[in-house]
Amino acid sequence: MISSLKHYLGVYRYFVTTSVSEALSFRTSFILLVLMDIFFYFSVLFSVDFLFDHMQTIGPWNRYQLLFFICFMLNIDTIHMGVFSSNFWMLGFKIRTGELDFDLLKPTHSIFICFFRYLKPSSLLTAPVAWGLLIYYGSKIGLLWYDWLLIPPLLLLGLSLLCVLEFILCTSMFWLVEGMGINFLRMQMQQMARWPDFIYKYTYQKIFTIGVPLLLIGSGPVHFILDKSNWHYLAGMCLAIVISTLILVKIWNKALRQYDSASS
Amino acid sequence: MSQKVIEVINLTKQFKSYKKKPGLKGSLQSFFNRKYSIKKAVHGFNLEINKGEIIGLLGPNGAGKTTLMKMFTGIIVPTSGELTINGHSPWERKKEFKKKIALVMGQKSQLWWDIPAMDSFLLLQKFYELSNQEFKQRLDYMSELLGVVDLLHVHVRKLSLGERMKMELMASLLHNPDVIFLDEPTIGLDLVAQENIRAFILDFHKKNGTTIIITSHYMADVQALCKRLVLIFDGTKAYDGPLEKFENILGNEKTVSFTFSEEIPCCGYLDEFHGEWNEGRTSVDIRVPEENLREVGKKVLDLHPVIEFNTEKMPIERVMKTLMTNPEVLRAQRDHANLPA
Repeated sequence: MISSLKHYLGVYRYFVTTSVSEALSFRTSFILLVLMDIFFYFSVLFSVDFLFDHMQTIGPWNRYQLLFFICFMLNIDTIHMGVFSSNFWMLGFKIRTGELDFDLLKPTHSIFICFFRYLKPSSLLTAPVAWGLLIYYGSKIGLLWYDWLLIPPLLLLGLSLLCVLEFILCTSMFWLVEGMGINFLRMQMQQMARWPDFIYKYTYQKIFTIGVPLLLIGSGPVHFILDKSNWHYLAGMCLAIVISTLILVKIWNKALRQYDSASS
Repeated sequence: MSQKVIEVINLTKQFKSYKKKPGLKGSLQSFFNRKYSIKKAVHGFNLEINKGEIIGLLGPNGAGKTTLMKMFTGIIVPTSGELTINGHSPWERKKEFKKKIALVMGQKSQLWWDIPAMDSFLLLQKFYELSNQEFKQRLDYMSELLGVVDLLHVHVRKLSLGERMKMELMASLLHNPDVIFLDEPTIGLDLVAQENIRAFILDFHKKNGTTIIITSHYMADVQALCKRLVLIFDGTKAYDGPLEKFENILGNEKTVSFTFSEEIPCCGYLDEFHGEWNEGRTSVDIRVPEENLREVGKKVLDLHPVIEFNTEKMPIERVMKTLMTNPEVLRAQRDHANLPA
């Protein structure tokens, strides 16, 4: 177990190194990507902030509570963009061109190499901006010391749920071959999760909390931080992660069995 | 007793595909009403390969060579049949199995395009859990033998095809695999690069006793590397045996070429062989039974002003050409001569 973990961490270190090495080869593009991410953060925040110029609350949350939620989701987005997003785009390309063949030959689990291989260092570089915004709005809503301690594990919990759901969705690329449609669907899923659960109507809320638990990703942890009696959100998230992981492993194995590989 | 490394019993692989008529109408039709067909890429394939052998897997485009290679390496899963490589079922994709095999595809790259090859090698070192000493030793050996020491830190996209192919070979062999699958490793390379790659493969095989299965459309690769050939046509094995026997599959005649200092008038001794003359009748290729080679050569030299003559260097190329244009010949020859299949 320990040696296996060491092996995977050793490989991952070089995923980081090679991704950074590649990203820094294109200097202007790298700087533009950093600026684009920062622009994205502020455009999201300003558009939500603007709504509160015209109303006092949205659902049960006031301006700073909702902006704290938005920043919580931005932090999940930042890690997601930096660590995972490139892999989703690459997977479709690799299946279509047959480049996945080489990944399947590597002595690590194929899920690891397919979804962790490419990093986007420019997004990770903007993480301090996202943290800064989260800390700012966290202090505005008067978080206590234990709330601050809860934030990192809850971020990881939300990120894990988002990723497992996206891994499942992306596995369908093995059948569809073309990954563009799946990737746009994935982005729409993220878009849904960027808003708190209570803005959706009852039926949608139930479907996207229980059926496809997208709305738990950010809403679950923030509800819990704001009110500790909302622990059932976290229990739901943990259960969703376990069930989704089991589904992922099952359909991933099925996908690999029917992978045809493009002819050379 | 030699140890079996690869055992294949009745292996079959089917692919589902559909055909689309050209143009917008065809696209719309195929969008709403797609007619799939099943193609048997490989069927009823049997094979046994012993440790340390170098096997040439030959066949025309679309015969099923690459499909076989992909099944051998566990990339794709067979529809039916049994397959063991070094005691493993490839499609279980176990770590121990993956560490013992390597696949080189001449038409695909595993190196990262936008970074130097050395960065990819360091990543591979971690993948295969190689110690620094092993890694350095193998990297030095291969880079020196292939003459690419100065190119290790150059971005892969800046390398020539030949240089990139050498790096691909290094990337695939760094972990010292027991079985290597080479799928057209010299495709598109110039003659010098082809020779370098062949020499490297031979040296690696000699040093490590590796089992190698190679596919190539260049008969020079096969001639230089393989003692045993497996021929595949339409997904089934058509020949499995020694290279020399394959060269004589269409008979034991040799092609001899003569070039003369002046035009040779029609209807002399040489015309008895129904050879192929050039337009000016200053050179001819004739087919001569192997046992008469000496006698015929001597007679032509005595009769005509020969300035150059030679026998064909690669009879395998002629045999392959004939079989690819008319595969039925092989079946007829096999039935007649009781050749192995």
